[in-house]
Amino acid sequence: MSTALDRQIRPIYDALDTGSNKSAIVACNKLLKKHPNSNLLKALKALALVRTQKVEESLVLCDEVLGSKPTDDSTLNAMLHVLRGLGRHNDMVTMFEEAYKQQPTNEDLGTQAFFANVRASNWKSAQQVATKMHKQFQEDRYLYWNAISVVLQANDPTTPPNMRQLLYKLAHRLLSSSSATPLSHTDRFYLHLSIFKELGLVDEAAALLDTEVGQLICSANLSCNELRRDIMRLRGLLKEEGERAERLITEKDDRNWLEFISLLDGTFSYLQTPSEDTQDECSKHIVHTQEVLTKIAEKDGKKDRSGHLALLELELRARKHGLSTDASRLITLMRQYFDNFGDKACCFEDLKPYIFLEGEDQQTWTSFLEDVNSDVSSVNNLQRVINSYKLLRHTLPASDITLEAEGKGAALYVEQYFKALPLGQALPATELQPADDLAILSGSVLVNMWKLTGDQQYLYRAVILLEYGLSKSKQSFEMRLILIRIYRLLGAPSLALEHYRLMRIKQVQNDTLSHFLFSRTSAFSLASTGDLTLSTECIEASQVYLSNSQETSDFVIRAFNAEKYSQIPEFIEFEERLDNSLQRDMTKMEHLRMRIAHEVISSDIIDMELIELKFIFDRQHHDNRDFDILPNYQPQSIDTLNKQTILFDKAEGLGWLWTFLKMYIRIFMMASDLDDSIEEKLLVGDRPKLSLDPEKRRPLKERIVDCKESELEELTPEEHLLVQYTEALAEWLEPYHDYARPPPDVVLAEAAKLTEQKTGFPLKGVEIPPQNGKSNGPYKKDEEAPPLTEPPEAISKFFEDMRSQFKKVKDSGDYSRTLHTATLIQEAFLLLATASLRFKATSVVKVHKLGGLVAKLKPIRVEAASVLEEVSTALSSLSTEAGSAEHRTAISEVDLGYSEIDKDFVNQVAKKIAESRKTILEGVGKGVTRLCTTYTQ
Amino acid sequence: MSVLRPFRASDMFKFNNVNLDIWTETVTLRNDNEMQYNIGFYLHYLSRWPDLCCVQEAPSGRMMGYVIGKAEGQSLEWHGHVTAITVAPEYRRLSLARKMMGLLEFVSDQIYRGHFVDLYVRCNNQIAVDMYEGLGYSVYRRVREYYGSLGVGKGGRDEEDAFDMRKPLSRDPSKRSIRPNGRDMIVSAHDVS
Ligand SMILES: CC(C)(COP(=O)(O)OP(=O)(O)OC[C@H]1O[C@@H](n2cnc3c(N)ncnc32)[C@H](O)[C@@H]1OP(=O)(O)O)[C@@H](O)C(=O)NCCC(=O)NCCS
Repeated sequence: MSTALDRQIRPIYDALDTGSNKSAIVACNKLLKKHPNSNLLKALKALALVRTQKVEESLVLCDEVLGSKPTDDSTLNAMLHVLRGLGRHNDMVTMFEEAYKQQPTNEDLGTQAFFANVRASNWKSAQQVATKMHKQFQEDRYLYWNAISVVLQANDPTTPPNMRQLLYKLAHRLLSSSSATPLSHTDRFYLHLSIFKELGLVDEAAALLDTEVGQLICSANLSCNELRRDIMRLRGLLKEEGERAERLITEKDDRNWLEFISLLDGTFSYLQTPSEDTQDECSKHIVHTQEVLTKIAEKDGKKDRSGHLALLELELRARKHGLSTDASRLITLMRQYFDNFGDKACCFEDLKPYIFLEGEDQQTWTSFLEDVNSDVSSVNNLQRVINSYKLLRHTLPASDITLEAEGKGAALYVEQYFKALPLGQALPATELQPADDLAILSGSVLVNMWKLTGDQQYLYRAVILLEYGLSKSKQSFEMRLILIRIYRLLGAPSLALEHYRLMRIKQVQNDTLSHFLFSRTSAFSLASTGDLTLSTECIEASQVYLSNSQETSDFVIRAFNAEKYSQIPEFIEFEERLDNSLQRDMTKMEHLRMRIAHEVISSDIIDMELIELKFIFDRQHHDNRDFDILPNYQPQSIDTLNKQTILFDKAEGLGWLWTFLKMYIRIFMMASDLDDSIEEKLLVGDRPKLSLDPEKRRPLKERIVDCKESELEELTPEEHLLVQYTEALAEWLEPYHDYARPPPDVVLAEAAKLTEQKTGFPLKGVEIPPQNGKSNGPYKKDEEAPPLTEPPEAISKFFEDMRSQFKKVKDSGDYSRTLHTATLIQEAFLLLATASLRFKATSVVKVHKLGGLVAKLKPIRVEAASVLEEVSTALSSLSTEAGSAEHRTAISEVDLGYSEIDKDFVNQVAKKIAESRKTILEGVGKGVTRLCTTYTQ
Repeated sequence: MSVLRPFRASDMFKFNNVNLDIWTETVTLRNDNEMQYNIGFYLHYLSRWPDLCCVQEAPSGRMMGYVIGKAEGQSLEWHGHVTAITVAPEYRRLSLARKMMGLLEFVSDQIYRGHFVDLYVRCNNQIAVDMYEGLGYSVYRRVREYYGSLGVGKGGRDEEDAFDMRKPLSRDPSKRSIRPNGRDMIVSAHDVS
């Protein structure tokens, strides 16, 4: 490139860097006049176009540049960004591989070609590039790139399982051919070991591990040490591993719990071949281990729990094997443990695995806990009290959990809470309060009392207490999470949102924690009135998936560059889990449900959403949702707090998502003109790789009509009705849609024409067929229209059933359920509008003689609208009721049973609940009316 | 008792009980550093210094805390750095931080052969400052406006300023990397890496 041009191009880069894409385009156009063949200018212009969403125009330039097979750095680099922006990893691979082929001695191009394959997860081609590079440049690292590519191919979900061993063997062969020692480099050492492990080549692994350097690496590298531990197990060397662990514990003061586990596994390894001798042998070792651990426990005192807890674990295991020699030892150890660590918050969790005792043991233990001094005037004692409460509650048998007993419990915890609260007075606002767990305990009991009776007053009491607790302990996210759940149950969603936002969720938490907000969130959406609060939350939370697909592969590449082979498979797994996250697509589903209530349903929306839903339908989902974050102090004999506070008492997961996907895909496919061949032409980015799952390889038309019992179990009864309704609707209308839908070539020609109008270029690979003298009117098929049939009864029955369901629920005081019912009727109505969209065009109806069908659709719509009118009226009066002084008082007058929280505070909470309810009921009611007007005209 | 094991990328799916803590949230949130907002923060460290990143986990699988570190600097300044260390509230005062610091120091010393380990801490994070002092660290300098605000009000200087604290390793037997009057040495955030 001439330096003059070089100078002129620099401002274009600056413009791109600062996001001034428009001026970049102008500058490119100007220079392109003088240098019409400059690949770099074209590539830069394509980049600016992509960034301004002018995808079609950019594609044209993109193809021109690719066609010329560029090799210069700047062009390749600009194209890299263009193609990433377009999601065309396969083109990127071709581009770099082409360039490398032309300049096989250019190491940089080789690397780029390799990385392009990495980004596209093309492990096989990545491996081929690495092989070439190793031959050419003779660098060991390329041999390792080669080997790990093979390993990654073996791990790839699209690789058949029977290939796995074969591929690992190949990786092994590759690495054995190397003259370099794996010991020079920790992560190369790691890769060797992991391949040995997978192939069960324990002797080879041992040879490496037993070297001095190998031992040193393992002592300072946790990843390698983890592998070493696994390999020792594979070798069956539990005894040796136990002895090694014992040395580390006693001589090196290692307190990693993994070492204690090794020690215990070693102790019981004698039992692997059962006989009387081995029993004796084992008993001897139990005595020895007990001595070792007792010494450690004595030495560490309260400084470290490991020795103490390992003694408990030893005794428990001895009991299981019938080798315990002292029936009272377990209880003694538990008591000692509580005495030593009862003042640590984790004591409850530590002891949990041991507290399910029988008969006398149970009694001894319970009375020990009951005798714990209930004085809470010091932080240490407070923690002991809290631990004793949690432990006692955890083992309560279901028969003891009565309303009366729970009432006593709730009162006791609250009483202690207020007594203990002053202990944390002096703490800064950034610290948690030591008494927090008492409020959480009491709140949990109240939730259970609500479960026992269905009486909302218990939820009000829980909310008042937890709001108060939170006002004293601003950072208590646990209280916040419980409040979020309860507010949703109470039909006060804006308060849940408020708390959710205060948690300042970020990065991956948008995946793991967003279920607290988005689970069935469309029931609380005001999108129908133009309020996009929740839709926006969905979009913002979903940013994390974009940043995952754009950034994670950069780090995979960094890990290659830094030769961190231990990390590469982990990063890829992470990327995969996030990319195929269940929550991601549940959020997407909720967003779509809100979208159709907000935007006027059009074929554009239907087509776009359909393509995306079909992609989702091919995914193998991972459930990354974090439910464990919600504290659970409910007795083991009843449901967890998580389960108790799930909205509508139905935990939704893959089955729910699947059902909704099928429902929407079916309706949208019917309403859309797209078919696979058209979609292929219109698609910009790469297609996802084809799944191996035979289930997913069946034709889509078959898959969407499948209906599995286990999936339906995740639906509420109302959702179930909706599913049956859409099935009936689709079965009835599909023949008419199939008949009236223009054939693919006509649709494609139309799309091509639109593209050409927009960009001035024809759509790639599409021939616009001659018009056969026909004008733009709707396409007419030669065959007869399908005979007119009566709409299935299930359709009108749905509206009937939902009408009576709504009547029942609206007076029950269960506002969230009322909203659920109302929004599902609304959704049914919107799906009806979607399914009849095609028949709104009079020309279509005329040409296809479908007037009869239209006449049959109308009364259905009218009936649905009349149900919705009723719903709207009812919601409006419910909203007035929720806004009344009586409603507020009903909340604020609940009998708390204590007087520490002042009346103003309680009134404030009551007011907020009432207001939140009023707003949502009113809004949903108005939205319903609005939609009726939009779609009945 | 706790399992000490490597930090893995997928631990990001399960560290909520640790990361919802306000201190943790902002430990690495420097006013000029947006890294913390994207997943790249952890991957960046793992892609280069995986052996300086580890997790403590309860036998139940629940995460108790983690440390994220790196190695950096030229010649005599070559050192290990603690970017973030945090323990979930319910697992504090069980020596977990002590053990993780011990591991990071060991690896910085034995594997990276650094001269010292350093870290930044908000001047008002009294618990952490005391802990580091207890572990043998001393203030090397005070860095103006290193952090953003915690957002809980009345933080003042001490909230946004950081102490740069250091502890010499075996390669620095004469303890050249530390100095006695560090609290009085004040630099601006631009002057530190
Ligand atoms: C700072 C923090 C990491 C300490 O973790 P920890 O596991 O509780 O610390 P340890 O138990 O290992 O404590 C080591 C020593 O530090 C001191 N220490 C720790 N926490 C203390 C506290 N709350 N009060 C007084 N001293 C304390 C003690 O001397 C302790 O030794 P000891 O228990 O034998 O007396 C933890 O409080 C935390 O995660 N805070 C939030 C995040 C943060 O501030 N990180 C530091 C930012 S740079």
